[in-house]
Amino acid sequence: MAPTVVTNSIRRLRFEHDEMTQQDLAERVGVTRQTVNAIETGKYSPSLEVAFRMAEVFGVRVDEVFHYGPAAKKR
Amino acid sequence: MSFREKTAWVTLCAIVAVSLLYVFHMPTPFVPNPTLHVVHAMGASVLAYLVIEAVAWLVLRWRYPRDAREPKDEREKLIDLKAIRIAYYVLATASLLGIFITLHVANAGDVAMGMAVFLAFLLSQVVKHAVRIVYYRRGF
Repeated sequence: MAPTVVTNSIRRLRFEHDEMTQQDLAERVGVTRQTVNAIETGKYSPSLEVAFRMAEVFGVRVDEVFHYGPAAKKR
Repeated sequence: MSFREKTAWVTLCAIVAVSLLYVFHMPTPFVPNPTLHVVHAMGASVLAYLVIEAVAWLVLRWRYPRDAREPKDEREKLIDLKAIRIAYYVLATASLLGIFITLHVANAGDVAMGMAVFLAFLLSQVVKHAVRIVYYRRGF
């Protein structure tokens, strides 16, 4: 089976939302800033609940925030 | 560096420092009646550790009051669980090894066996906090 990865567009989405800071996002999602940073840099894959909350904060679908599979690298 | 990572560093350093002091000044368990010496040394070590930990925790809380009030989020809870799991195996293995060595290899008494288990506990705590720091820094 080919290795899969989870990537995300959090950095871009934060930029598009008036350069929202990691701290702002963390407070709205209910996690620490370090956890947002870990998710953004691919060091931690969040639970579904946190993933959905992030998508809700940005006002997009969850698959616009997180991308899964070999093709995810191309985004 | 997150507040929890800072506390992990503080606890790790405190345990290592106190453990080294304890090991290098540990009264030998191979004297006729070692129990009192050993209990004194262990008591002093535990007290020193508690004082260091309490002072460091108060300083951290004073410097980072907002971070200290934040509850643990899912990643921090997961890191704690992973660290405790690894520390459990270290504690079990080191305890059994310590008991076996003191009873069957060194032919030492109950006091030495108790010290071996105590050292196994210290080792497991060192591993627990070291693993926490690694997960905080490297991710998983």
